[in-house]
Amino acid sequence: MTVKAKPIKKRHIKPGKLISYTILVIICALVLLPLVLTFLYSFFPMSEMKAFLDTRNNYEAGKWMDILLAPAMVSLRQYYDLLIDKPVYLQLFMNSVKYTGAILLGQIVFIPTVAYALSRFRFKGREVLFFMILMLMLLPFQVTMAPSVLTMRALGLMNTAWAVILPIMFSPFYIFLVRQFMISIPGEMMEAGLMDGAGTIRSFFHVVLPLSKPILGAAAALSFADSWNLVEQPLIYLSNTQHLMPLSVMFNTFSSNEQGVVFAAAALYILPALLIYSYFQEDILLGIQLSDMK
Amino acid sequence: MFTKKKSLWLFLLPGLAGLLLFHLVPFLGGIYFSMTDGTINNNFVWFANYQRVFANAAFQKGMRNSLELSLLSAPLIFVLSFILAIMLKSLRERSLPFRNILLMPYLVPSSALLIIWMVLFDYGGVVNRLVDLLGMSRVMWLESGALRVPIVLLYVWKNIGFSVVIFSAALQSVPDEYYEFARLEGAGHVRQATAITLPLVLPTAFLVFVLAWVNAFKIFKEVYFIGGAYPRDEVYTLQHFMNNRFSKLEYQDVTTAAYSFAVIVLVFFAMLYMRKGVRGHDR
Repeated sequence: MTVKAKPIKKRHIKPGKLISYTILVIICALVLLPLVLTFLYSFFPMSEMKAFLDTRNNYEAGKWMDILLAPAMVSLRQYYDLLIDKPVYLQLFMNSVKYTGAILLGQIVFIPTVAYALSRFRFKGREVLFFMILMLMLLPFQVTMAPSVLTMRALGLMNTAWAVILPIMFSPFYIFLVRQFMISIPGEMMEAGLMDGAGTIRSFFHVVLPLSKPILGAAAALSFADSWNLVEQPLIYLSNTQHLMPLSVMFNTFSSNEQGVVFAAAALYILPALLIYSYFQEDILLGIQLSDMK
Repeated sequence: MFTKKKSLWLFLLPGLAGLLLFHLVPFLGGIYFSMTDGTINNNFVWFANYQRVFANAAFQKGMRNSLELSLLSAPLIFVLSFILAIMLKSLRERSLPFRNILLMPYLVPSSALLIIWMVLFDYGGVVNRLVDLLGMSRVMWLESGALRVPIVLLYVWKNIGFSVVIFSAALQSVPDEYYEFARLEGAGHVRQATAITLPLVLPTAFLVFVLAWVNAFKIFKEVYFIGGAYPRDEVYTLQHFMNNRFSKLEYQDVTTAAYSFAVIVLVFFAMLYMRKGVRGHDR
């Protein structure tokens, strides 16, 4: 084995790079700040947090809120209170888990299959269908809100969890995202996987799905974030069944009544999103990198 | 590319059925809906609903605010994410931790962030301390029209990472030789960015712009959390108008407003679709 002689690199950093570094560090610090503070404040004693939040909305000249960076005493009381003494939080949390779980399960079945049909089959009306999906993905929920309610009513699904779950299972944006990836899988790779002339079903399970792992991970993570943050749909579909509301809708009502534990409530609510993110972050970068995003 | 395969239906049909039932039918039904009068006879009234809704002051306010909010956020996201993506590229593999941090807020639920946002932007909060430090007088961020600032910042904070990732992906595919050549010819950083980077990532830039603009047009959650169903005039969006009409059971108004809104979105859509890139090419 021969080792190519590399020219010795100069060890000093170029000023341009240094500027980029500095700016990026500052911006990333700003991006992290709200998250770090939320988690930090969740370990403050409840009384201290209540007192801190009570100093808000003081308009006297010279009056400021304290800059709190360390608790008088590190305390898990907020978490204890939240998880043991206030069952309503956990119940809302579990509602959110159910919605998110059901939506993701449905999407796993419906999204890759449609994306596969749209990317690897040639059929009449394919362009029209894709046109329709692009259009639907750009529209905000409110555009079809009223007719959607009529549809749900006709199906007898109003005020049930299904009214929230079912439409999102067929979310046009994720069909678009996965299709853009599948369409950029090179033809040679498809053929290499299909030397024995296997059919469309085998090609789906043995070639396309394994190759699409990054975008499926990316879609799962992004879709989790959407479902975990559901607001518009429950507000409309579940107006008469408050006990079905997810945490995302009720969080503010809950937190304005429970000032002492609000940061622990927020931290617990953020935590699953961060865990999912840390698990899938490579997929998100790679998935979008390899997709056809022009 | 498969042609004339029966199995197409196996893959297409389940998803297509749901797409039609839960998305397309309501969309088409809505068009009809916005042209009827909503009485028992369901008379067809053509564009009378549109005339009435356009004349409505709350609608005008919502439309104006939605437009203005999106015109504040979308360019901010677009320009910032382009600059950040260029900086990230110059750091090569060492840019990964920065990328991961920038995208993180995208996954965080907005309502959980609200409390810390209110604390930071309080009249006596950190943001005003900085303002004070710079020698300016404090701003009532949450109690005046300045409320737009924390809302737009929350929105940008949450969504910029996604644009950065898309831009970064596009930049990755620009060959390094181009830059080397430009450097040999004596082109500076700015010149390289405008002469090489920009034209090559233009199709992607267009997608980022459309998504940023359309999504910013949909700002609602953030405002709803801060201001409720009837927020201050400056942040009353079109979605508020629709939601409130909806709770008064005025479905015709909701749908009519919705389609006026949709037309704007669809103009952008048409532009997006015209670029044949997105449709993809057969391979």
